[in-house]
Amino acid sequence: MDTCLLAGEIILKNGGETYRAEETMALIARAAGMDNVNSFVTPTCLIMSYRCMDKDYTRMIRTPSRTIDLHKVTLVNDVSRKFVSGKMTLAQAYRKLQEIDRKKPIYPWWLQNLAAGIASGAFIVLIGATWFDILPTVFAGIIVNVSVYYLEAYLRVKIFTEFLAAFLGGMVVFLLYRLFPHLHLDLMIIGTMLPLFPGIAVTNSLRDLMAGDLMAGVSRGVEAVLTALSVAAATAIILSMAR
Amino acid sequence: MSWWLGLLLSFLSTLAYCTLFNVPVRALLAGGLTGAIGWLVYNAISPYGMNATIATFLAATTVSLCSQFLSIYLRVPSTNFSVAGIIPLVPGSVAYRSMLAFVEGNYLNGITLATQTCLLAGAIAAGLMLGISIFSVWKGLVARNAGKRAKTN
Repeated sequence: MDTCLLAGEIILKNGGETYRAEETMALIARAAGMDNVNSFVTPTCLIMSYRCMDKDYTRMIRTPSRTIDLHKVTLVNDVSRKFVSGKMTLAQAYRKLQEIDRKKPIYPWWLQNLAAGIASGAFIVLIGATWFDILPTVFAGIIVNVSVYYLEAYLRVKIFTEFLAAFLGGMVVFLLYRLFPHLHLDLMIIGTMLPLFPGIAVTNSLRDLMAGDLMAGVSRGVEAVLTALSVAAATAIILSMAR
Repeated sequence: MSWWLGLLLSFLSTLAYCTLFNVPVRALLAGGLTGAIGWLVYNAISPYGMNATIATFLAATTVSLCSQFLSIYLRVPSTNFSVAGIIPLVPGSVAYRSMLAFVEGNYLNGITLATQTCLLAGAIAAGLMLGISIFSVWKGLVARNAGKRAKTN
């Protein structure tokens, strides 16, 4: 039971799809010889029940915080595949899962921030910016990513965190635009908001909807829309300042 | 902008976005490749008078199919690729112009552009879905054929 729930929790917490969490939990339980396995997962909680030796077991856990770490999802996937095919015992799998849960991100912190900047910078050149626009945008993209990381610890409200981060990034770009008026404000703002683009939420919501998990799909879709709205609001404020 | 520069930039952008999501190291380059292919499809179609929405749709379908194949080939969940692969297709500039129009009090224009943004986002979504559906149909066919072959042997 613990193994199943831990596997499901790691997948859900780190940005895996809902149906993947459900399936993994059910597969592990069935491979361990349980009957009547049922699992139900929404983005905020996991419920699992099965029957073993004429006794019913049910447990539920909540997942308060969610981050994105696709590496962990991949690792859990590997563990469950190995366990189901019999290459791993239950105890081994559990130990391995605990190890995965404690793992730090594979890329160091500075590299992730730099990556946010590079993603922003490369994207705006793609949509027609000049080479001079890159540096401010890379800088602002890094600011956005760093501020999301720090503000999240204080604010706890995801929408407001994203709004503030977008606002800060936008302010940086705006100030630089005031200093150097020949930069392209429009393209730079678009690039700056890119690290906040809710890619995971959109993709997962679609895949959940396709898999028939209507509740999870819709709630993730709403998550994506909320993020988009907060970014749009921040952009609107910056723009009204720029006029 | 020459096409190879665009290819390189879309590759770089997608790669960086993959890093942001902690995609496993062995899947990084493949993730970047997915984004570059998506961008290539979009830019190969759109000059021939094709609607931007349809071009986005087809590009997203390609991205989705690519990520499914790569997920089998590299044995990692396909989310690893498709999440970052749609980055070069994000309708950033339309969304921006829509906000600009709203701020300037030009509501009619703003609503037009916002609708266009929604259509483009919907095209990405629909493209991803179509890719998944095509792939699951194909997988079903393969499984059925494999079953038949096993029986005849």
